[in-house]
Amino acid sequence: MDILAFLAQGFAVALEPQNLFLAFIGCVIGTLIGALPGLGPVNGVALMIPLSFNFGLPATGALILLVSVYYGCMYGGRISSIVLNIPGDEPAMMTTLDGYPMALQGRGGEALGLSAVASFVGAGVATLGLALFAPLLVQFAIRFGPAEYFALFVLAFATIGGVTGGSLVKSFTAAFLGLLLGSVGIDAVSGVPRYTFGLYELYDGIDFIVALVGLFAISECLIYLEDIRGTSRPTLTLGSAMPGVRSAGRCAPTIARGSLIGFVAGVLPGAGAALGSFLAYMLEKRWVGRDGRFGQGDPRGVAAPEAGNNAAAGGALIPMLSLGIPGSGTTAILLALLLSMNITPGPLLFEQQPEMVWGLVAALVIGNFVLLVLNVPLVSLFAKVLQAPGWFLMPMVVMVAFVGVYSLNNSAFDLYMMLGFGVLGYALRKLEIPTVPVVLGLLLGGQMEFNLRRAMSISGGDWSILWNSAISVGIYLFAVTLIVAGLVYSWMVRARLP
Amino acid sequence: MSDFLQDDAGRVPGVIGDRIAGALLLVLAVGAWWLSHDLESGFMQPIGPGEYPRLISLPLAALSLLLILRPGFNQRWPGRAALLRQALTLLVLASYAGLVKPLGFLPASLVAVVLLVRLFGAAWKPALVSGAVLALALYALFEFALGIPLPDMPGLDW
Repeated sequence: MDILAFLAQGFAVALEPQNLFLAFIGCVIGTLIGALPGLGPVNGVALMIPLSFNFGLPATGALILLVSVYYGCMYGGRISSIVLNIPGDEPAMMTTLDGYPMALQGRGGEALGLSAVASFVGAGVATLGLALFAPLLVQFAIRFGPAEYFALFVLAFATIGGVTGGSLVKSFTAAFLGLLLGSVGIDAVSGVPRYTFGLYELYDGIDFIVALVGLFAISECLIYLEDIRGTSRPTLTLGSAMPGVRSAGRCAPTIARGSLIGFVAGVLPGAGAALGSFLAYMLEKRWVGRDGRFGQGDPRGVAAPEAGNNAAAGGALIPMLSLGIPGSGTTAILLALLLSMNITPGPLLFEQQPEMVWGLVAALVIGNFVLLVLNVPLVSLFAKVLQAPGWFLMPMVVMVAFVGVYSLNNSAFDLYMMLGFGVLGYALRKLEIPTVPVVLGLLLGGQMEFNLRRAMSISGGDWSILWNSAISVGIYLFAVTLIVAGLVYSWMVRARLP
Repeated sequence: MSDFLQDDAGRVPGVIGDRIAGALLLVLAVGAWWLSHDLESGFMQPIGPGEYPRLISLPLAALSLLLILRPGFNQRWPGRAALLRQALTLLVLASYAGLVKPLGFLPASLVAVVLLVRLFGAAWKPALVSGAVLALALYALFEFALGIPLPDMPGLDW
């Protein structure tokens, strides 16, 4: 078994003291960020990226840190859903439906324990899936040429809008805006500066780390400023999380189903964890039927979405690592990190740097155990953090963003740029134009153009090379199918919701 | 990102907002198209540096026209008090960005954090205390624990 040998090698990497420490720190920070209402994995990872650059971490270490933050956020998101009825992040939205009623009945501890175990299983299934399926996808992707890669990028953009169910026009507008912003800077092929208006700071293009922190962290604070009073929070007695572990035993089939559904949703490009938890919850409700008391504190209503969103989070890493196509907003940011470290994810990554890929997989396994320990006996500590007032937390987020971005280049220009993107992100959110496609465009635009131009120079300027191979036609067809499926799906959801 | 999970309570028709956004994006797309003609085509390359931005700005223009013609929904826009608070916050942050180097990290951050905590709704006393704590903690974290140098106060070595 090749995979076992690789995995053993991976554990050797992940168990190095420094990497083990990073995984642990990442899990703690991630759970904290995830637990804070409004801050989710996207903001958390975006906030951590400038810092990890400043640490001067090697690529493997930085990736382990950020992926641990990512997994930690997915775990932490449920805490405020259950305790405060405010989802800590988007994917934890479904957990409020049954988690908060459980807390009101004095079973908050049970809900927290149960959801921790469900998260553990979901993330575990996804990590296993990553180890098994990513190499398969790689063997397939190894035959890809520039034209096929161009098609893959088209697929990524087509699906990010299609599957999430918002307005298609707005998602695509966001994507093209991002692509246009991504073309700022010196053209890598000809050396001609584009749209720099003589500003030398723009010659390297718009730094997507700066853009990310602005679009997510700063805009989140602007949203928060709209209503600083917030709602009064009743204090609930939580109780021990231990009964949740037993309750998880009873919910085992639910957790298994939720994990599988979430994993599949995560692997699909553009879908992400929010869809994973949504589908897991809805299908479980359908499956259990009239026996369930969903919406009134049914433990299965907590177990299903938590297994689903954590499985989706892991599943989303598969297309990111093996194809270089992010499956969700957060994996797009992880991809940004890799690209800015001059590591191009894709089939070659598995051949050239197996120690990194498998070290990451092993770190996920270890991180998952750390998270289980953090989240069952120690969960009340994290729940306490939620009592900290917003007027303290939000300025802290702003300051961490500021210092992190400033120390990248010691330049005030970056800070102004970050503020500009913060305002842009805020406006887009108010307009219901999704921000993730903007990031994707900014991020993937360079690669997309590079592959397009390479394909064109291979064909000598003949555009038909783009659709001349069976693989690329297949990818385009898949993209169209996903868009149509997304349209049908959002129509169905709209018909269902009041 | 996940529109399907949002409640409809905070939504308003985006007739004005979407049209303004569409118009701005249209200007952007046309401008990008216009300027791309100044980018000289590289020799020996079937596609020059201007081709790709043109390829992008065309659909962007079409989409922004669609946005103008068929506006969708917006989230509820903030009231005057909230707008003022946001503008003041941005002003504090922009001044802080400009002053952090000339004044040094500690003094600039102290003032900025106290004002920020104030703007986020705390009274003066907790704002002063927590602002000082936050600025000092961040300074200690970055300068000593992480070893990232921050701008010093002029005339002082810290």
